[in-house]
Amino acid sequence: MLSALAGYALIAPPLALLLLLIFFPAAQAVVRTLLVDADIGLTSGFTTSRYTGFFGDAIARSNLWFTVWVTIVTTSFLFLVCLPLAAYLRFSTSRIAGVVQVLALFPLFVPGVILAFALIRYIGPRGTVDTFLRVVLNYTGFVTPYLRPSGIIFALVWDHIPFTVLVLTAGLRQVEDSVIEAARDVGASGLRVFAQIVLPLIQRPAMIVLCLNIIGIFGSFTIPYLLGPAAPQMMGVYMAQTFSEYQDRPGAETQAVIMFAACSVIGALYVRTVSRRRGERG
Amino acid sequence: MTEQWPNHPKSFLRRHLGRNVGTEVFGLFAVLFLGLVIIGPMSTIVLWAFADRWRAPALLPTEWGTSYWGETLQRADVLTALPFSILLAGSVTLLSAFICLPAAYSFARIKFPGKQAFLLSFLATNAFPRFGLYVAIAVVFFRLGLVGTVPGVVLIQLVNTLLTMIWIPTSAFQNVDRALEEAALDVGAGRVRIFFQITMPQVLPALAAALLLTFVATFYEAQGALIIGLPGVRTMATLMYSYINNQVVVQYGAVISLILWLPSLVLLAFAQRFLRGNTVSAGFGV
Repeated sequence: MLSALAGYALIAPPLALLLLLIFFPAAQAVVRTLLVDADIGLTSGFTTSRYTGFFGDAIARSNLWFTVWVTIVTTSFLFLVCLPLAAYLRFSTSRIAGVVQVLALFPLFVPGVILAFALIRYIGPRGTVDTFLRVVLNYTGFVTPYLRPSGIIFALVWDHIPFTVLVLTAGLRQVEDSVIEAARDVGASGLRVFAQIVLPLIQRPAMIVLCLNIIGIFGSFTIPYLLGPAAPQMMGVYMAQTFSEYQDRPGAETQAVIMFAACSVIGALYVRTVSRRRGERG
Repeated sequence: MTEQWPNHPKSFLRRHLGRNVGTEVFGLFAVLFLGLVIIGPMSTIVLWAFADRWRAPALLPTEWGTSYWGETLQRADVLTALPFSILLAGSVTLLSAFICLPAAYSFARIKFPGKQAFLLSFLATNAFPRFGLYVAIAVVFFRLGLVGTVPGVVLIQLVNTLLTMIWIPTSAFQNVDRALEEAALDVGAGRVRIFFQITMPQVLPALAAALLLTFVATFYEAQGALIIGLPGVRTMATLMYSYINNQVVVQYGAVISLILWLPSLVLLAFAQRFLRGNTVSAGFGV
């Protein structure tokens, strides 16, 4: 048996990367935003001036609320689309289910930049959908979601479908047929079986996928940058602009910390859910 | 096989669509919906890549051809970015494997205090909103002079690979059949030989999955590469941003998209095997 010392030696390199590339920059950003005065750039003790600056700025505030709003709407749509799909995939073994599974997992293999490019050509102005409606149905009232909040929401839902379906289906597979049949036998309706028996049983995978979707959507950049409106912006786009275009690094740092704070509860919930499950298993 | 339409159409449907007709009607609706929403946009790219001319209001390209392929592949920005991207994604994947695989073995097979907590700490890569983390890293890298350099991009892309490269192999090493190893030990095989002849063959599929997933994810990683790499480092994925924002010739972007998509098609070919097990979900802690 290899000794515990060897164990530590082997995990040291990735752990060091984790500390240097994630915990250190994140912790440093938090500390710096509270210690360094934004205007002077010198350490002048504890200050909240950067945060009062952020929340005093109408544009910054509207960007933050816009990000929260897009996250909530997108996550709701995701569950609305993916729960029926996952339930269908769990209970059907037909060939149609095979096709549905392939289609639902397909976006897993499409990176965000390609998705954005494809959607501009598909639902953008003079795109395929627009042309189809004009030429075939003689309908000219198509309003493109491109450069509108709906464009971001549509693309983000698209992007997160495979992971959500994958995890929810895996969770539903762990619900035994006999449990559902027993409930059915005593006369419970389909909806009631789902809400009172299935849902509590898939609580953990559903919680994990909910947390990861919220964090992923909140911290997205590519899709809102390429498909979203110029104002309001999602936080990712706003930060990139602050950092690269305005070269305002302290400002970008403050925005990043506000983003961490907004997602901290969800992040903690994710880690707690995963660790509780592993604890039970081991 | 010839099938006669029976007297009861409903029983015919039942036989063909499974027990529950209503369920399969939903299935057909789902195919239609997903086809329009998911396959529709992607097929538009394919059409554009093989269109020599496509003017509105034509539904399909007015002239088909591959003339834009040669033109795109001769562009200086593509010629430098494509080999660089492949090299970069390959290096990041190998570096990540070199750093993470021994750790995965350690997490699965060696007993030491605090193991669970250390393993769980890698979830942090998912628990932070990605772009906020990149900006926090970028601020540190800026002071270190790593912005716009290749090492800076390599480091930020490594962050993304840690969880996949540790969690998937760890669960693979945990699932190795210990009885086989002990049996080999009993008949006098050495530890090194057991590792390569008994342990490795059992974990190889999962390791291959982790390597492939990491390579593809790194090849497509654009956000970290954009904020750390610019203006000095340009990958294929970051090149796409400028093709979307500033390029009037649609075909260039379409051709680059298809080229970028190649590694994904390889992944797709193997996907049935990973997705059936819980390999991918293991990378998210599910």
